[in-house]
Amino acid sequence: MTITVVLNGEARELTCAPHESLMAVLRREGFYSVRFGSETGETGAAAVLVDGRLVSSDVMLAAQADGHEIETVEGLAPRMSLHPIQEAFIATGAIQSGYSTPAMILAAKELLAADPDPSEDQIRDALSGILDRETGYLRPVLAVQRAAAALRGEAVSDVETSVVSPLTYDMDGVTDPEGIPAVSPKVVPNPEVPETNVVGRPEIKVDALKLAKGNPAFVDDIDMRQMLYAKVLYSPHAHARIVAIDDSKARSLPGVRAVLHHQNVARVRYASGGQSYPNPLPYDQVSFDDKVRFVGDRVAAVAAESVEIATEALELIDVTYEVLPAVFDENEAIAEGAPVIHDEDGMDGAHDASRNIVHHISADVADVDAGFEQADRIFEQEFRVHQVQQAPIEPHIAIAYWDSDERLVIRTSTQVPFHVRRMVAPLLGLPIKKIRIIKPRIGGGFGAKQEMLIEDIVGHLTMATGRPVRYELTRQEEFVSSRTRHPQTIAYRTGVNAAGHLVAQEMKVVANTGAYGTHGLTVQMVSGLRGLTSYKSPNKRYRCDVAYTNLPVPGAYRGYGAPQALFALEAHMEDVAHALEIDPLEFRRMNWTAEGDPIDVAPQLGEGEADTSFVPVVTSSGIEECVAQGERSIGWQRRLDPEWRQPSDRPNIRRGLGFAMCMHGSAIPGLDMGAASIKINDDGSFNMLIGATDLGTGADTILGQIAAEVLGVPLDDIVVYAADTDMTPFDTGAYASSTTYISGMAVKRAAEETRRQIVDRAALLLEESAGAIELRDRQAWSTDGRSVGLAEIALSSLHQAQQHQIMGTASYVSPESPPPYAAQFAEVEVDVDTGQVTVQSLVMAVDCGVAINPVTAAGQVEGGMIQALGYGHCEEMAYDEGGRMVNARFGPYWIYRADEMPRIDTYLVQTMEKSGPFGAKAIAEIPKDGVAPAIRNAIANATGTRINAIPFTPERVWQALHSKG
Amino acid sequence: MVTIRAYHRPTTLAAALELLARPDVEAIPLGGGTEINGLPGRVPSEVVDLQALGLADISRDGATLDVGSMVTLRDFIEHEWTPPLLRDLARREGPNTIRNVATLGGVVATADPESGLVAGLLAYSAVVSIAGASGIENVVLTDLVGGGKGLVGSIITSVQIALGGDGTFEATARTPADTPIVLVAGHRSDDDSLLLAATGVAATPVLIEPDGIEDLRPPPDFRGSADYRRHLAGVLAARVVGRLPEGGPA
Ligand SMILES: Cc1cc2nc3c(=O)[nH]c(=O)nc-3n(C[C@H](O)[C@H](O)[C@H](O)COP(=O)(O)OP(=O)(O)OC[C@H]3O[C@@H](n4cnc5c(N)ncnc54)[C@H](O)[C@@H]3O)c2cc1C
Ligand code: FES
Repeated sequence: MTITVVLNGEARELTCAPHESLMAVLRREGFYSVRFGSETGETGAAAVLVDGRLVSSDVMLAAQADGHEIETVEGLAPRMSLHPIQEAFIATGAIQSGYSTPAMILAAKELLAADPDPSEDQIRDALSGILDRETGYLRPVLAVQRAAAALRGEAVSDVETSVVSPLTYDMDGVTDPEGIPAVSPKVVPNPEVPETNVVGRPEIKVDALKLAKGNPAFVDDIDMRQMLYAKVLYSPHAHARIVAIDDSKARSLPGVRAVLHHQNVARVRYASGGQSYPNPLPYDQVSFDDKVRFVGDRVAAVAAESVEIATEALELIDVTYEVLPAVFDENEAIAEGAPVIHDEDGMDGAHDASRNIVHHISADVADVDAGFEQADRIFEQEFRVHQVQQAPIEPHIAIAYWDSDERLVIRTSTQVPFHVRRMVAPLLGLPIKKIRIIKPRIGGGFGAKQEMLIEDIVGHLTMATGRPVRYELTRQEEFVSSRTRHPQTIAYRTGVNAAGHLVAQEMKVVANTGAYGTHGLTVQMVSGLRGLTSYKSPNKRYRCDVAYTNLPVPGAYRGYGAPQALFALEAHMEDVAHALEIDPLEFRRMNWTAEGDPIDVAPQLGEGEADTSFVPVVTSSGIEECVAQGERSIGWQRRLDPEWRQPSDRPNIRRGLGFAMCMHGSAIPGLDMGAASIKINDDGSFNMLIGATDLGTGADTILGQIAAEVLGVPLDDIVVYAADTDMTPFDTGAYASSTTYISGMAVKRAAEETRRQIVDRAALLLEESAGAIELRDRQAWSTDGRSVGLAEIALSSLHQAQQHQIMGTASYVSPESPPPYAAQFAEVEVDVDTGQVTVQSLVMAVDCGVAINPVTAAGQVEGGMIQALGYGHCEEMAYDEGGRMVNARFGPYWIYRADEMPRIDTYLVQTMEKSGPFGAKAIAEIPKDGVAPAIRNAIANATGTRINAIPFTPERVWQALHSKG
Repeated sequence: MVTIRAYHRPTTLAAALELLARPDVEAIPLGGGTEINGLPGRVPSEVVDLQALGLADISRDGATLDVGSMVTLRDFIEHEWTPPLLRDLARREGPNTIRNVATLGGVVATADPESGLVAGLLAYSAVVSIAGASGIENVVLTDLVGGGKGLVGSIITSVQIALGGDGTFEATARTPADTPIVLVAGHRSDDDSLLLAATGVAATPVLIEPDGIEDLRPPPDFRGSADYRRHLAGVLAARVVGRLPEGGPA
């Protein structure tokens, strides 16, 4: 059928089928800003304006729009210009991955057309239909406020950092941070941090323009002729043997081009976790197996001329299953008599596959038993943490095709392009040199995309058909068939002496890695490392069994084993302090690791080559200042005020405050590697090629800032290109909080090498000695004040004399992983009659060394805290008895919306980390660590009830309050 | 999603009913489509879009509000005559991207077990006008939701609400904007009679009696067991009753 619409002001006739959504038709017409987030309307990534009102175009038929006016972001501003709303989103740092930014901009447009001066509530309501996993909505709200002011004709100033005066040492700054506008990141200065020009400034993101304008930038934003569409048949059973597959009916369906399964795809064993060579054992996966191990496991894949045909073909594949008994709980799985999940041959490297124990991890510092003997008091507690999903708004998507050299190109939404290339090669039977992986913009990953998840499927199908093949997970598939966070049962045992110091600490974990090992070893190593590092104890012990079960597969998820460990640890420490009648902050202070303390379990729980002779030491810590800033912001003294805790006008309400201390790492020492290459152009600008993968975190920007700082140019002169295995140097990828610290150091070194060559040329031109030359303001300066511009230097070296390409390349690996620290505070209200918990406020003061870009750093904290809030408060993967996830959809799986946010407040407490680039440590993961325990401790403060399992959903809390003796 | 084989946009109610009445064709009315277009499954059907039937007006006859079935939740919320309770409950039905298109007719026809707005309309004793082969019939919402009256082949044209009285609601949810596990809405009408309706305690929103809570048989799910839902219904109903005292607020 044909519909007539006014599309961005232009009358258009569009052809569509009656069933097609408006989203599908707009994307086909090249309006790529309309993005897929779900097929049921919840994410709002596909929101457009219809007759001036924001609607989710994934749940509107194109036919319904017939006769109406449609607006997308493409219509907002012509090339080379920006609409004031787009400018505001860029200036405030409201854009992270940018996947849903076009939808937010349209929401703002609708609102501001109706009301030039909306309230914050109105703004939050306008954004409520667009789910965001990255910003915590704080900056998008500020962006709309700024846009409103700009459109009213008011002057808006640049976003600047606010310097807050420290509370535990002397330095100048604002003494009352209450008055600081929220858009301005709050930095607590440190006397050791030197002056810089580009580093430390809230620079605009280098990819902001394309994201604000909705330009084609993501995997799916290309059109290829002859494209085929893949669908995968997923197992309906939690555990079954595939007795027979009959694909004849599917193959004969018109439009089907390939059907693949275990009978026609080579059986090559692998582990799917995107990790360095050699990937940790065991290799317990194959592309298609004759056994399925969870509901959602792969059975077969189809490529067809359309998604509809491929979907129909799946129904025509006849599979005969022999259903086997299944087990879902990690403790039951390793008990005697449990069904054996990996009974196949070749399980080398599994600890004991016959008992479903894939890994047994242990680490000891001194003698924990002797330590307990010296203890005056011993405390023991058990905790349980559940399974959640990363839920990036852009699901996994990959497109494979043969290029003209008959090399296989895979364009994929991945955090680890180089690992994917190496790992997919043997599965496809191709040499690595025949494969090229392109990582365009990514709509969020959070660890789910630190995996070789679907690249083999599109690769196999392109090889089988010779045609380009696209595969995008549905939202349900993203929940069930991608990756999740490991559930764990965690037991702590802590011995304390009479003075209140720890003398022994033991942590025992039984972890659930679902049907496959993938990150099972390393996540649980991090749990042990993080769980036994925050506090000093002369004797420590870690024991962990990682169990196979028939659950969907856990993998990497931002925080990587630390959120689990720190929930248990910070709850435990709180309770120990309570039992000892010591102030909970004071008890932590008496025991936390400080500058100079060894990170003693690290050598045994490190991922690279175990080098037990090198024990890293804490080289910088701002925890004392973090606690002080956080205490002030949350109003910590209120926790002892009975009138505040029990408001007299609301008899069913109790209020409380909670704290958690967080300590994380920056990269995997001795293993994570980054590399960068920088070359000068004729005009004195630079191309910077990096293998690091920006997931929306701002990595490209801060790496550009580091280069710009070294080269004495504005950020605008650095053209960043990232992550294409043919073009850019190697990088292990975006994980383990490594990009700033590791890739940043590689960039700094590459820039320094480039600078050396520039200085040599300048010395030639200025007839000066190289040692006397300095780069600043796009010029090379001699000591006597003469200068030569970088453009002149470039032209000279490229065209005129002793020609060569000024170009620096460098790599970096670190022996250290300096810990960022943070103080997390939470304020809650508990309805004691219903168990409903309302989180009122979250405050995090974080020591990330020097924040290279305070706006993106603050954004990481704001968004990370809200993701962590979901973990502690409302998100959970729920299953029926058969292991089928019952809430594989946003809504039932609830992630926080813009119109229900607690207050969030962030402080960036500077320390000077000498081993990091310009003093930087990591920040990306630590915001995930403390929210759940801080809420838990706040509930305890409010009600006296200590709940040792998350999430704090109403019935769980009510049961706990109720069962209290 | 439902596999939609054909799309119709009739301009008269008669034509719309005719399209729905064809014996050999499966066809359903399309309100805003937010529910239909997101449904899983591949049931083949034709859709009859009601947008051109002129059913999107809100009018008032004395103390009775007549809301066209194609009035969007957005317009319902923004209308000056909409009672505050129903406005607040409509605001909880999904975010703005949904409220901008979802219709009152769609909400009533779906009668989602967790629809607070349907509970509110039950407490208001709303009456639904349904056009079918034999003309327009007025049905008490309770009968429609209770399954006494099917909708096959017919079209909801409007919903009537008797204005006046006082209403309020209480809910328990995982987060402030989440769909409540249990919600209780109450309305005390001008003649001082009190009606309570709840979500999350039965297969649809239902009227409840404060002393009949123990007899409820809520369908459990991962957010709430049957016992817990019953407990919530009791606590929330008591709160609602407390806020709607006999003879008006003290
Ligand atoms: C993101 C999201 C959030 C949601 N949140 C909620 C929520 O919080 N609470 C809730 O209850 N629902 C919610 N829903 C479900 C749904 O949006 C509502 O039920 C909605 O109000 C349906 O209205 P509609 O006009 O879009 O209906 P449609 O999708 O057009 O129709 C729904 C059903 O009603 C029938 N129908 C529609 N109009 C008429 C009519 N006039 N006469 C006869 N039959 C008719 C249709 O045939 C169909 O069977 C949500 C949906 C989404 C996508
Ligand atoms: S798990 Fe992704 S960055 Fe750590």
